[in-house]
Amino acid sequence: MNIDLSEEALEFGRLAKRALEAAGGDELAQIAEREPDRRESLVGPVLAELGAWQLDPRDSADELEAAAALCRSAGYWAVSYPVAERLCRPSDLDADGLVVVADPAPAAAVGGLDRRWAAVTLDGRRSMATARPMAASPRRSAFVVELDLESVDDAGASDVPLGLVLPCWTLLGMLDRAVELARSYVREREQFGQPLATFQGVQFQLTEAEVERVGLEELAKYALWSIEAGRHEALDDALALRLAAVEAAERVLRVAHQLHGAIGFCDETVLSWVSRQSVPLRRLPLGLSGTRAELTRRLGRRGLTGIFG
Amino acid sequence: MDFDMGDEVAALRLELRALIDEHIPPDFLGAFTDDPADLETAQRFCRLLADRGLLCMAWPESWGGRGASAWEQTAVREEMWAHHEPRGAQYMGVNWVGPTLMRHGTPEQQQLHLPAIARGEVIWCQGFSEPNSGSDLASLQTAARRDGDEWRVSGQKIWTSYATMAQWCFLLARTSKEERKQQGLTIFLVPMSAPGIEVRPIASMIGPHHLNEVFFDDVRVTEADVLGPVGEGWKVVQEVLAFERVGIARYARCERLLQWAPSALGDQWEALPEELRSRWAQMLIHARRARLLAYRVVDAQHRGQVRPGDAAAYRIAVTTLDQESAEVLVDIVGLAVLAGDDALRFKRAVEDHWRYSVSATVASGSIEIQRILLARALLGAS
Ligand SMILES: Cc1cc2nc3c(=O)[nH]c(=O)nc-3n(C[C@H](O)[C@H](O)[C@H](O)COP(=O)(O)OP(=O)(O)OC[C@H]3O[C@@H](n4cnc5c(N)ncnc54)[C@H](O)[C@@H]3O)c2cc1C
Repeated sequence: MNIDLSEEALEFGRLAKRALEAAGGDELAQIAEREPDRRESLVGPVLAELGAWQLDPRDSADELEAAAALCRSAGYWAVSYPVAERLCRPSDLDADGLVVVADPAPAAAVGGLDRRWAAVTLDGRRSMATARPMAASPRRSAFVVELDLESVDDAGASDVPLGLVLPCWTLLGMLDRAVELARSYVREREQFGQPLATFQGVQFQLTEAEVERVGLEELAKYALWSIEAGRHEALDDALALRLAAVEAAERVLRVAHQLHGAIGFCDETVLSWVSRQSVPLRRLPLGLSGTRAELTRRLGRRGLTGIFG
Repeated sequence: MDFDMGDEVAALRLELRALIDEHIPPDFLGAFTDDPADLETAQRFCRLLADRGLLCMAWPESWGGRGASAWEQTAVREEMWAHHEPRGAQYMGVNWVGPTLMRHGTPEQQQLHLPAIARGEVIWCQGFSEPNSGSDLASLQTAARRDGDEWRVSGQKIWTSYATMAQWCFLLARTSKEERKQQGLTIFLVPMSAPGIEVRPIASMIGPHHLNEVFFDDVRVTEADVLGPVGEGWKVVQEVLAFERVGIARYARCERLLQWAPSALGDQWEALPEELRSRWAQMLIHARRARLLAYRVVDAQHRGQVRPGDAAAYRIAVTTLDQESAEVLVDIVGLAVLAGDDALRFKRAVEDHWRYSVSATVASGSIEIQRILLARALLGAS
């Protein structure tokens, strides 16, 4: 048993976190929203310098783990860039990245980028995707655009788990941040003459969020390992992770918003940016009910692999 | 990363399942029923495990163990709890009484107690809670006063599991009044046969033998039965609670019952409302999540790290899972017509799981106390 990412992967994640901080940190999402044309140039070169695009998560466990750590760091700063999706690019298609899509209206948060995208459905049908122009401002759309698909083949079975799991690591990074923000806010903010953190009602809400966050962290590592180890159930594990991630995001962000009071909705708080950037990750390719229905259908009567299955 | 426990652990699971298959009746739902045969089954099974070196395998060799790995130990807990704990009450001796005695006992106490636990011959109970001291354990009143070179214990314990069948009590009593309530507490190892001890079972929905009152009326205890320094029992209790936190693998029973459901229902499985099957799928994820959170605690402990926040997070996740999975399973059973041995066994196991799960968020430190501990880890002692 070894239940942690490799030390190299963790170190790579730390490096990425520092590099993104130096490049603007929390401001990256804000600038991208104000100046959508800079979406690529704000983040792409920083990650290129780190060697991110040389990582091939399909090639080795080490690179997959490094990719996951990178996604988590990108999520921490809520960078407005499809880091996970670019890391998932298929090696045999002429594409810069891969997105998992679902019928009837395939979409992804790839607006404003001049990149070639491959898309894969949950049942492994691959296509090349052309992003339509952004129909709404990034503030409203979070860069989500509809995709026009041109069918390629049915060979995407192994793309799907990877394409589901890495974005969950981005979401995990966002939840790390949301819990951290809520923690520090309740320690600073005083009402009734004392910090909010002294109220048990506040403490208990925070623990609810933390249990979701650490639980998601473990499931994210497990699903990553399932891909690494080439297990048959990698897709089940990826969908299970995705369902848990969507559920955890809902709970953690609800708590983080609630504990911030009104200020949490304002542009001046980081939480409001994290919260909005999380939306595409939570809704695409499928939200809570869609993911759950898909997982339930797949599990049939077999259940999830574990001690007794 | 590698979430596979490896071939040795897999072989150990098979060995344990084969032994359960051979020696535990298929209808067994734990040692604590009205049928004395169930207790007898568990006692026999403990001796059998002991003979094969499986009862205390995680203990050091000097005490009859074989220094098994943290993961072998985890697998034993999982297999046992999943199969309705065929060791009966003895899991407590193995999990925390023995290890605590190894750390704090005198050589004489170790000689007296450890081999008996390792042979599977002795049942212990835990005398901590009192009528007025539950979550606020340190406020307890049961008092031990010096009487020459002996001690006299008077007071009342409550909720004491297995007290009717136990030979020994791991008793926490007040030996002096100090400034802080956590000071002046001492652990005594008390034979339940001592004159002045009276046990009264408490009828409850979770089944016989689980809950009892234990009265101590001027019970004579010798100096040799004091565990650790007088007045420093609280420190020992903290260790006991830390062992206990990962002691019961509740998620393993949840997972086993959830995975059993489709085969127990046969063709009726597909006829269940899709919404119910999707709750079932979600519970399987929550069972996996609780299991992985347990591994996080085990892994840290194994590396000598103490992370109270992680242990509390695990307890919150696993006790909630216990109750939520029980509700889903009861719903599943309620929508099927169950007949045949396997299906009826499943139904009885679900019913048992549901009744016992109601206490999951109260027993061994309530979920609110776990939230307090986790909040402390997150926020500091504010
Ligand atoms: C099945 C079972 C087996 C048990 N076995 C044993 C045993 O073998 N030996 C033993 O000594 N004890 C045993 N116990 C007792 C158990 O440890 C106590 O029930 C537990 O510590 C809670 O104490 P209480 O029941 O007195 O509840 P109380 O402490 O009275 O609490 C009642 C409620 O108030 C909440 N509460 C209390 N304080 C706070 C606070 N500060 N903030 C917020 N909420 C709070 C609690 O969480 C709980 O929900 C067992 C209990 C059960 C259910």
